[in-house]
Amino acid sequence: MPSVSETTPRLRARALQASTSRWRPVIAIVIALAVLALWPTIAPNPYMVSAGVVVLNYAVFATAWNIMGGFTGYISLGHAAFFGLGAYGTGLLVIHTEMYFLLAAVLAMVATVIIALPVGLAALRVRGASFVIVTIALVLVLQLVFQSWGAVTGGSDGFVVPRPFPDMLRPEHHETFFYLFLGLLAVTMAVWTLIDRSRLGAALKGVREDEDKAESLGSPTMRLKLVAFLISAAFTSLAGAFYGLWFGDLDPIFQFDIVLGSTVVLMALLGGIRYLFGPLLGALVIGAALEYFVLNYGDTQFHLIATGLLLALVVLFLPDGVLTGVAQLRARLQPQAASIREVSAEDLRAEQDRSDPGAQESDRDARTEESP
Amino acid sequence: MVTGTLLFQSLILGLLLGGLYALLAAGLTLYFGIMRVVMLAHASFIILAGYIAWRFNVVTGLDPMFSLIISVPLFFLIGFAIQRWLISRLKPATMTMMSVLITFAIALIIEGLLGMVYTGTQRRINLPYAASNFNFFGAAIPVVQIVSFVLAGLSLGALYLLLKKSRFGRALRATIQHREAAQLLGIDTDKVAGFGFGLGLATAAVGGTALALQATIYPSLHWHWIGPLMAIIVVGGLGSVPGAAIAALLLGVLRIMLEIPLGPTWAQTIFYVALFATLMVRPQGFFGGRLAQRF
Repeated sequence: MPSVSETTPRLRARALQASTSRWRPVIAIVIALAVLALWPTIAPNPYMVSAGVVVLNYAVFATAWNIMGGFTGYISLGHAAFFGLGAYGTGLLVIHTEMYFLLAAVLAMVATVIIALPVGLAALRVRGASFVIVTIALVLVLQLVFQSWGAVTGGSDGFVVPRPFPDMLRPEHHETFFYLFLGLLAVTMAVWTLIDRSRLGAALKGVREDEDKAESLGSPTMRLKLVAFLISAAFTSLAGAFYGLWFGDLDPIFQFDIVLGSTVVLMALLGGIRYLFGPLLGALVIGAALEYFVLNYGDTQFHLIATGLLLALVVLFLPDGVLTGVAQLRARLQPQAASIREVSAEDLRAEQDRSDPGAQESDRDARTEESP
Repeated sequence: MVTGTLLFQSLILGLLLGGLYALLAAGLTLYFGIMRVVMLAHASFIILAGYIAWRFNVVTGLDPMFSLIISVPLFFLIGFAIQRWLISRLKPATMTMMSVLITFAIALIIEGLLGMVYTGTQRRINLPYAASNFNFFGAAIPVVQIVSFVLAGLSLGALYLLLKKSRFGRALRATIQHREAAQLLGIDTDKVAGFGFGLGLATAAVGGTALALQATIYPSLHWHWIGPLMAIIVVGGLGSVPGAAIAALLLGVLRIMLEIPLGPTWAQTIFYVALFATLMVRPQGFFGGRLAQRF
């Protein structure tokens, strides 16, 4: 143990640092959302606002996905299943009970979590490969069920969700949903930040870095992964619910779509799954690119090739995302942090004078830990 | 009315379909055994092989099975290239997850290219023996199904002999069982892994051609194959070739039998039911042995 005189100033400095950095993500979220909120006022036409809704929808979806993928490193290609369940659940509730759309969205979210529970239990019992297979299977089987179960879901003919604001004109409708999605994005990002700073987040990151070690240290990895999976599914379902209400027309092929699920993974990876803003950044870049492709090459399969190529490039050359790349670049350009080896003999002697001999050993340990 | 003949015919058809499934799942277990890779592009290569067979038939007028002369070596080379240039570049720590994404990317690119070149139109090969049936104890079995089953059976047999009897097969099995030990014995495991991948993809060439004989093909068809094939390898125990074969035959028969009461779409869900049940009850798979007992 370091002596009291040695630790307190350091602790105090850390506490000070923590108190400023605690609010930093909140401030960053507020600034980012404020900038995004300007979009409807500067967009040249209603189409651009609706494109903004699509991009925000991707951003919520990718951030929600990142609650699972980013913290645990488990890559789910099947989150489109929860997206579709949210959309269909909300639509069915609104039609059959005529309840308020937000209440319907929340109830659909609960239902999605209930469905996700056994799936998570099955998928997370095994590591890696089987998890991915189960998430893919979930999307495929739900697509099959929703297509076959025509009496309830409308099957391939589609399914019309009543608009929550029937007397609004189309541009106003886009604008309203733009702000609804913005609010949902704020909540999702806040939840991500909360988890990031909680014990749960630390434990989940333990799973990501070395699951075996985490488990041998007594961390209930299975339960932790399941919690992250369910929270992630819940917010994905909300994104789907809002999308269904906004778009108004659902088709199993497009709601339960592996390509959609993997596009979202691509977004999170491109930005960087370790960062709060990674999925948002990825959604802005890829969402905008996809809208462009659909607009210009809508009737060809070019968007598939573009998505595929981009995914391959990101996995091969940028597996940790743009933000990690930027951070590494910045670290290289900045003056190097002093390592233990660069401490001069004078420094060491001065330190020895200040501390008692017992503290010396542990102090050196602490320094080793801090050095990069 | 469900008659005995209908049941018998379904059983035979199920076994024939299961044979094809077994061949295709064998490729998937090879990849998983060698590199711990879940190869999502396998099904899209199947469709690609189907397109090669169709195009070959249109251009030359010969039987589509002759297209195997082109597609098998081509696919072998592509598989080798994928392993050496893409998969082996990934970081070992995130290998499983990242390989899923990269093979998924390949699947998307193949689907997109097929869609761009040949459009989404459904294609079917015109065969002289397409409509003929073979009477087998009262059950009418389409000849194309028998042909594709024979094709699958021959290649599975060849694969088995290759793995069991040849030097390469021994090296490949050694690489799968214990990579480092195989290296110590002087096996060039990188090369062997590349060849193993090529071998896996070559099975997709045969399977795709067999499929094109009996079914209509279109670029997005591979989505219908990914799920069942993945389910088969999980039920069979990831990485076990005999396990995959047994699971394939079993699920193939079950699927065709369930079509009688449920219809084709709902019958398809049997694969997913089996997948979830397996993970709940026996996550290591039902038929796969322990690591040392593979093949």
